Amino acid sequence: MKRILVAAGLLAFAVAGASAEPATAPNTPSSFTLDNGMQVVVVPDHRAPVVTHMVWYKVGAADEAPGKSGIAHLFEHVMFKQTKNIGPEEFTSIVQRSGGQLNAFTSWDYTAYFERVHKDQLGKMMELEAERMVNLIINDDPKGPFIAERDVVKEERRQRIENSPGALLQEMVLNEFWKGHPYEITVIGLMDEVAALSPQDGLDFYKEYYSPENAILVVAGDVTEEDVRVLAEEHYGPIEPTGQAHSARKWQPVAPLAETKLITHSDPKVRQPVWSRYYLGTSFKRDPETALALEVGLEVLGGGMTSRLYQSLVEQQKLAINIATFAWTTLHDEGPAVIYGTPVSGVSLEDLDAAVMAEIEKILADGFTEAEVVRARNKLAATAIYQQDSQSSMANHYGANLALGFTLEEIAAYPDEVRQVTPEQALAAVRAVFGADKNYITSHLLPAEGDL
Amino acid sequence: MLKLRLFSGAAAALLITACVGTPAPQASLDAAPATPALAVDVYDGDFVDIQQFTTPGGVSVWLVTEPSIPIVSVQMAWRGGSVADPDGLEGLGQAVVYGMNEGAGDLDSLAFQTAMEELNMSFGCSNGTEWTSCSATMLSENAPASMALVASALTAPRYDEGPFQRFLREQEVGLKTRETSAGYLAWRAQSQALYPDHPFAREVTPESLAALTPELARSHMRALMRKDGLLVTAVGNITPEDLAPLIDTAVAALPETSEIPAVAPVTLPDMAAADPVIVPLPQPQSLVRFIGPAMDRANPDYFPAYVLNYTFGGGGFESRLVKTLRVDKGLTYGVSSSIDPNPSFTVWSGGGQTKNESAGDFITGIRDEMQKFIDGGVTEAELSDAKAYLIGSYPLGFDSNAKIASNIMSVRQDDLGVDYFDRRNALIEAVTLEDVNRAAATYLAPGRYSFFVVGEPQGLTAE
Repeated sequence: MKRILVAAGLLAFAVAGASAEPATAPNTPSSFTLDNGMQVVVVPDHRAPVVTHMVWYKVGAADEAPGKSGIAHLFEHVMFKQTKNIGPEEFTSIVQRSGGQLNAFTSWDYTAYFERVHKDQLGKMMELEAERMVNLIINDDPKGPFIAERDVVKEERRQRIENSPGALLQEMVLNEFWKGHPYEITVIGLMDEVAALSPQDGLDFYKEYYSPENAILVVAGDVTEEDVRVLAEEHYGPIEPTGQAHSARKWQPVAPLAETKLITHSDPKVRQPVWSRYYLGTSFKRDPETALALEVGLEVLGGGMTSRLYQSLVEQQKLAINIATFAWTTLHDEGPAVIYGTPVSGVSLEDLDAAVMAEIEKILADGFTEAEVVRARNKLAATAIYQQDSQSSMANHYGANLALGFTLEEIAAYPDEVRQVTPEQALAAVRAVFGADKNYITSHLLPAEGDL
Repeated sequence: MLKLRLFSGAAAALLITACVGTPAPQASLDAAPATPALAVDVYDGDFVDIQQFTTPGGVSVWLVTEPSIPIVSVQMAWRGGSVADPDGLEGLGQAVVYGMNEGAGDLDSLAFQTAMEELNMSFGCSNGTEWTSCSATMLSENAPASMALVASALTAPRYDEGPFQRFLREQEVGLKTRETSAGYLAWRAQSQALYPDHPFAREVTPESLAALTPELARSHMRALMRKDGLLVTAVGNITPEDLAPLIDTAVAALPETSEIPAVAPVTLPDMAAADPVIVPLPQPQSLVRFIGPAMDRANPDYFPAYVLNYTFGGGGFESRLVKTLRVDKGLTYGVSSSIDPNPSFTVWSGGGQTKNESAGDFITGIRDEMQKFIDGGVTEAELSDAKAYLIGSYPLGFDSNAKIASNIMSVRQDDLGVDYFDRRNALIEAVTLEDVNRAAATYLAPGRYSFFVVGEPQGLTAE
């Protein structure tokens, strides 16, 4: 039956649920708010008796005070250590003994904690998250929950950034790109500042940002809205709002780059030079129409093997091993739109730069075809169908977007909206971002002097 | 010979199914299917219901039908991976799989990739050490057209000169960049120290790349991908009756059989060198890896060791390695261990990263933890916590089509039986403290483990 009904990919989303299991309600997410201000979102998925339980706090590295970089992320680590009613390191033990998996992550815009468990354990997970929302212990003990964790985060920074020449270069570029903006410093923070964070910094941060009116509960999985409502009211409902939910976020529009710059990083570990260019892009939150059009346009320009740049630079001119474009559109504030490529041996980064930019100029002068734009937007829209296969991915998708201030309706509208983007809009968005009058940062990742 | 004329949407689906001779979709609804009724053996499990059947063309398929999302994924696997590369032609298996979505039949690389995009599908193959696999993921409404594209790839892959030369250029970059990849350097040091003459130690070289040709790839593809021993699994919004003809068409042109040499198992020594092997790499952190001999699944020690590994280094914050080296000493962001029971290479291995200054302390810490298991064993509480997690978390591995597809293929590859998922928890429950402590005494003796360090470690004497 599904085959007869389906006229285009767009319909597959709505049709399949209805035709395959007409008796069950479609898996439409729903939302309500507890009296203390905590928003609750339920994303049903009844395939397995499993739930993903997440608490999102509307605080991230962008909210850090000057000189306190890394506090949002270090604090996230400390949340696992000890509370009034849960002994040192017991939080993780209890979750794992319950057959659960758990972790947390921090971005510039939000901080999220999650447990994945059998649905029978959902109430216990809420009890645990509610406990650490109000009863976290932070003290001055050098072996205690705050100070000892600083060393772990310093190792994390070495592993993620300092061991990787590419990550070091990106850190330098983004620092320049967001100069003067709250995204200026990388989420994990600067080594010296992390080392100097004090238990008092942790307590202050906790008091200011961790409260129910500043949190969003997302439960995805084999539950109904009613199941979640009963449990959430029992476990999170009694938490008193602090009444001082933190003042406005520090989000602000990102200023255009003041000048064009080249940033290079040479490292003996680099064996293959890499070229990148960073322009000021946009974000779905700041400018949804442009963000949609830019995503479609960059897909056509440099989204994969069929893209214009790949076909020209890799396949025909054979100057590059790879070439691609993408934009960071899912932060609250504007992020970079990036072109990057790896030259074949014997081609310098300067030559690659010239060839890529000449090609982009030509493409943007000629315009996009209807067929390639249709393909690009269908590809982006289909990700919404494939994403349904992963319960965690759905929970993340809803949590992250709600934390930025989108509504459920806005989130669900993406596949429809992306299909509305016209070739003219896609082209205009790319032209605006990569315009000849725009400043940009070029980055060169290079071997150490004399290595090649 | 398959002719592909791809347009878009449902019209293409009808055209292609008609071309390749499978029943048109509507026919299966209102009229008798053209193929004889399939005998489907349904295994009704606690975690997943598996439909087993043999297609009219003779292919054995395991299918999990999941109607709630309009997608289908199909996996194929053949024993024989990079280890089956002929001597001097290392990288040939990689060339084979690289070419599988780079053009087939009338479609060149760009046309093939464009066709996949128009169908919103993905298809690609991979060449592991011992297995070659292909995987296709598609929207269920496009399944006939998507599988027709897979069929063309398995029937008439082109191995055109353009993509083949691109493969070589990419490989050359890989040869350069691996020289400063800590993971690769640790692997190479391990292979050279422990099994230098075994095929598992072979690697791609500039010389082996230079010897590869499209013609060699074309013929090696037919050695790797054959009907004999082909394992197929599928998960998604499709029935056995609709899937069977699509699979038959896809594999119709594969050879019945081929010669893939068997691989002798690697035997690791019971006593390792006392000092670590150090590979210099200029970076602030050292990567530390340890490896020692373990056991395969047929060994009665396997489940005790599997449970023990949770307490040793597999259980995250519940493991002693993390509790000691991360929580107590702050030496690392992460340290872990795992057992690979693969009969050709049964190993217990693990590691983590630590600043160069503490590399010596890190290795001493790992060895001390091993020794503590020998001296004092595991506590009743640790054993019960391990079982509670390993059993309690098992359903989490069945909450997506992708995970189910991966799990049922693993069960087929390891020949564990269709009822394995339902037997597994009882096998863990049956493990006793005595079993675990016996496994610890046998396998965790620090002297069995070789250590490899990549970085600029301090406080170590090198092998």
